[in-house]
Amino acid sequence: MPHNIYLPELARIAYIKDEVYGERAIKTFRVEPVDGELFEHACGQCAMLSIFGRGESMISIASSPLIREYKQFSIMRVGRVSSAFHDLAVGDVIGLRGPYGNSFPIDDWRGKNLYLIGGGCGLAPIWPVITTAVAQRANFKNITVFYGGRTSRDIMYRAELEKLRESIDVHLSIDKAEEGWDGYCGFVPAAVMDKDPVPDNAIAITCGPPIMIKFVIQNLNKLGFKDEQIYTTIENKMKCGLGKCGRCNVGKDYVCVKGPVYSWEELKSLPEEY
Amino acid sequence: MEKILDKKRIDDWIAALDNWDIQGPVLEDDIWSYQPVSGAVRLDHPNTKQSPKGLAFPQREIFFKFEQIKGEAPRLTQVVPDEQRHAVFGVRPCDGRGVPRMDLVFNDHVEDNYYQARRKNVAYVGLACNKPPSANCFCLSVGGSPVSTDGLDVQMTDLGDRYFVKAITETGKGLMAAAGKLFAEPSAADQKQVKQVHAEAVAYPQRAVRNVEEVPAKLKASFKSPLWQELAQACIGCGICTFLCPTCHCFDINDEVQSKAPLKGIRVRTWDNCQFPDFTMHSSGHNPRENTGARLRQRVAHKFQYFPENFGMPQCTGCGRCISECPVGIDIINVVNKVAENAA
Repeated sequence: MPHNIYLPELARIAYIKDEVYGERAIKTFRVEPVDGELFEHACGQCAMLSIFGRGESMISIASSPLIREYKQFSIMRVGRVSSAFHDLAVGDVIGLRGPYGNSFPIDDWRGKNLYLIGGGCGLAPIWPVITTAVAQRANFKNITVFYGGRTSRDIMYRAELEKLRESIDVHLSIDKAEEGWDGYCGFVPAAVMDKDPVPDNAIAITCGPPIMIKFVIQNLNKLGFKDEQIYTTIENKMKCGLGKCGRCNVGKDYVCVKGPVYSWEELKSLPEEY
Repeated sequence: MEKILDKKRIDDWIAALDNWDIQGPVLEDDIWSYQPVSGAVRLDHPNTKQSPKGLAFPQREIFFKFEQIKGEAPRLTQVVPDEQRHAVFGVRPCDGRGVPRMDLVFNDHVEDNYYQARRKNVAYVGLACNKPPSANCFCLSVGGSPVSTDGLDVQMTDLGDRYFVKAITETGKGLMAAAGKLFAEPSAADQKQVKQVHAEAVAYPQRAVRNVEEVPAKLKASFKSPLWQELAQACIGCGICTFLCPTCHCFDINDEVQSKAPLKGIRVRTWDNCQFPDFTMHSSGHNPRENTGARLRQRVAHKFQYFPENFGMPQCTGCGRCISECPVGIDIINVVNKVAENAA
């Protein structure tokens, strides 16, 4: 039989970090190949992760394609497989297949100002864009990150974000004021408005809860951003990642193949079924 | 290659196909289904309850076995389909036309190795419909015909006491050549009769999806139509429509655990169903298709809008099974016609 498209490669967990605690806990995992090398990927692509005996789950790859030693995933404890991930330890072996989907066209964004706007777990899909752009800092003009969590304890990648302040603008926000918080207080769409991003020669990328994305895009439009300057990702339940199992489609397109990255212009032309 | 086969000799033909598993329509408990046949094959079925799609796309397909001793890395063992060849006899034209549609899905983007491994070993020996076997047949209106050869390797036509047998593919020629002596050259009268039978079959009145070429645009304009929920009100989400459909290909992938310590199990693909509420439900509980209306719309629009947009043809072949077997009387012909008629 030719290449088995459903057979995962094995990967060993090399690093686990608790990002967010509580009911909606998020942990970050770095996995390394058991043998040879892991596949290459592009910013925004996803991988199908396996825990044998539990099943598979499609997760966005949260590390830059420039990093070849490991792939990073930040996983919220929600379902059967994601919960099982939270019970794993360093050294455990998982399955991995991919990469799946399209990617952010960051090569087309050279010389532009980038606004990266995330909320909650939605920092993970744009993290490869942020870290790749920072690694190739000279290729871009201003890079600005807006990221918000419900509370200060819901901010993921906290230390990494603080470190990024050395090279780019980072604006953190939380929904309600807390003692000792010196960032913005309020929802992410308002935090964006507060800084008045300029649409000239700019690209805005936003990921997060659907309600946040909706208002971020409304606000960006108000600021003069055109639909083709705004990018987001969508997620739907997936099983195959190959455009065959039939459940992640939005209209005629399977998100696992044509997505997850869409410009708002493209996404607006699809039926609202995500 | 066109030949004549005496009806009494069909069992000899089958006997000559040594290395093939022969599947034919079998009537059991009032249900026609494709089953392995040895010896006699009956071709007097209207159509089978299920299409023959399971030969290339079985309801369960094991991808691999996994085994893990605690503290060690898991061991994966691929499961590969066997190389047994299957010749399925009596395939109706609608089910034949299902085959290239399944091929499109499983070959698009990347080739599905499991589907391909099985598909290359299946030969479809069709039987033309001298008249539409069901009151719900509507193949003509979706680009097919009771005498279509699409997807078939051989087409047989019933001429009373004999079959007119036509090879469509090289595989079909091979099947006929394996029993060359049994076949006779068709006479001019045979040729005339087969033309006559086919012309009558096509002229037989059928139910119809109206103006199928215009349907994709009309469904696209009707995405938000309240008709979807109205028409789906009675749906109980049983999914029989998709399981019996010759072109429905949706599947699930799950791990089945046989032993916990040491961990032993299999990863299995099974048929799945877009009419089930949890088909698209996210782990968060959010469901992009949260009611029966959205799920009926998905099934109908997939066949009559999305598939045509992607591949230039309807995914439905007009077999009528989903209409005849729906326990609550949802009728895809009526659904398409009604939504299209009311399109903005």
